[in-house]
Amino acid sequence: MQYNLLHTAKVLEHPSVKQVLEIAKEIIDQNKVLNVELLYNIAKKRLGIPRRGLSSIIQALLNRKILVEGSKYTRDTVMQNRFRRKLYEFIKKNIGTHFSLIKNQLQFSEEGKITSPGRLIWHLEMLLKFNFIKRIKLKNFTLFLPLEVSEEEGIIHFIIRDEVNYKILAKVLKSESIKAADVHKEINEKREVVYYRVKNLIEIGFLSFKEQNREIIMINPKIYDILTNIFSII
Amino acid sequence: MVLNWNLEVVLDFAFALVTLISGIVTLIKPNTRKIHSLHYIRIAIFIGTFSMLFDGISLLYINVPLSIIEGLLNFPLALSLIIGVNYILKENYHSSGFTITFGLGILLIFISFLPGAAEVQFQGGYYRIPWIGVFGYLNLLFYSIIMGYILYWGIKTVRNAPFLIKKEANLFFIGITIYSLASTVFYILYVFEPFFILISTLLAIVGLLIFTMAIILEPKLLYILPFTIYRIVVKDNQGYPLFDYDWSKSQVTENMFTGFINAVQLMSDEIIKMGGLLDVNLKEGILILHESEKVTVGLAASKTSKLLRDSVSKFTFDFETKFQKELKESCRDMREYETAYELIEKHFSNFPSRLIPSKSHPLLLTESLLKLPNLIETDIKKIISDQNDFQFIKSEIFRSPESSATGFISLYHEIKEELEKQEKENAGIDNYIDMR
Repeated sequence: MQYNLLHTAKVLEHPSVKQVLEIAKEIIDQNKVLNVELLYNIAKKRLGIPRRGLSSIIQALLNRKILVEGSKYTRDTVMQNRFRRKLYEFIKKNIGTHFSLIKNQLQFSEEGKITSPGRLIWHLEMLLKFNFIKRIKLKNFTLFLPLEVSEEEGIIHFIIRDEVNYKILAKVLKSESIKAADVHKEINEKREVVYYRVKNLIEIGFLSFKEQNREIIMINPKIYDILTNIFSII
Repeated sequence: MVLNWNLEVVLDFAFALVTLISGIVTLIKPNTRKIHSLHYIRIAIFIGTFSMLFDGISLLYINVPLSIIEGLLNFPLALSLIIGVNYILKENYHSSGFTITFGLGILLIFISFLPGAAEVQFQGGYYRIPWIGVFGYLNLLFYSIIMGYILYWGIKTVRNAPFLIKKEANLFFIGITIYSLASTVFYILYVFEPFFILISTLLAIVGLLIFTMAIILEPKLLYILPFTIYRIVVKDNQGYPLFDYDWSKSQVTENMFTGFINAVQLMSDEIIKMGGLLDVNLKEGILILHESEKVTVGLAASKTSKLLRDSVSKFTFDFETKFQKELKESCRDMREYETAYELIEKHFSNFPSRLIPSKSHPLLLTESLLKLPNLIETDIKKIISDQNDFQFIKSEIFRSPESSATGFISLYHEIKEELEKQEKENAGIDNYIDMR
């Protein structure tokens, strides 16, 4: 067999090359790790091509980038993608972030191209799959947070990212309890905006009414410690 | 006249024949013949042929002057070998080893004219002509130098040989080790017991046969250079890529490559006046750039070399000639330039590919040849309209745990639904706030 043909442009039309490619596809379809040794062994057994001929074929396929370097991802290698690493860093810095925020902040890839929502979601899926991050559902939002951060902490970070929420919680935390109707005056915000936020904070269990007086709100004792802790860091 | 036939004579002639075959193999097998190192190593091999031939004839005819001439041949043999190895290592003939050997060689010539450099003796049941005194010791030293350099060359070759020819390199090294190390041990023992010269010669023959076999299997072993070439890129004078070839995983990033080629193209007139060649020293290696009238060729390597620069110049010239029509028409379709692989074979066949570092090195097929299960492929195609994104995700799916594709599809739909709800809710809030 003339393996010099492999240095010409018609390499893919060579019958042996086609057969080797079929074997490579088969190995990948069986979800096995494709490597030179396995490809050699199977191709040699099935096609009877000598080792040097196979070397020549594999080399030609590598040079034409038909066979590329790559392995099944592991937890270490999955982060070799620079954009994925950037995304993970962003989630670590912005605990409890959600998709729209990520999309706005990381719309450009390393090459300066706009990252499509599909590609972004793929990277998120990979970070989830390899246990770098986790997600929690909060009403209409899926929040992403590093695996080591607790869900409560993630939700708090998400909530206080909204400036009005932050002001409300800071005020209630400082005053320990406050009349719901007075909050907007204290933080100098529109009444209706504050009313909507307070309603939400009560619904998600951040604020609760005082038992004796339903007009007075306070921080839910269950999250008091975590919230105090986060506010002291910020 | 009675000829002094004995086993040593037969072995000497056999050795001379094997050396001659080996020399012929090094002459006809390699595709590239203009490599200095190989040229000198080949000269050393042919001198070795004459040396063994003279040894056999001097014994056969019991001729002392021929035996002395054989001893003298060790000088040019050692010198050629040293020059060859020096060219492999540093593309220069000179080294301290060269100077010392040259000095010793002068001494050897001088001593060879003194009386009693060799004499006929009856040893091991037949007449022999051993070298005597200083001439004998000097020849032993030359023999050790020759074998030492051969072994050094073998070690360098096997260490630098890429994975794809490692098996042949190991065979080459076994041959060289038997030829140099094992035969030298018995050659030294011969000083004490003449019989060992037979074993030494026999081992040298076996070693040389293995060496020759390895060269027949892989001629590139003769010029494994201690540096790596990574990649060659050809761009037209507008900066569009026309051809790209990798020998090993490049240490020079794409941005760096493009940046330098662009810079060269900006000052192209000055560079063409300088002969078109430019070496750019990088932390990661060297970039040899050749600017010609129609193309710029960039070659990344671990270190600079005259051989490389010459090869780049010739490649550039041939590329322009071969694709004259395409370049004239400003054709930028890389497929049209694919036959430039033949030029790579012509000018760079002496550089082996290092794309696969080991037999367990993981590989994957290019995205376009990978096939997802129909259902998943259809679902992903509905989500991802951009072809590049689709190919990227497809290649990632093959590298990921099995459920990643389905996980991705459901996460995509979940987020999409969520965004729609958020949009509706935002509209609701605005209405709510407006109403209040």
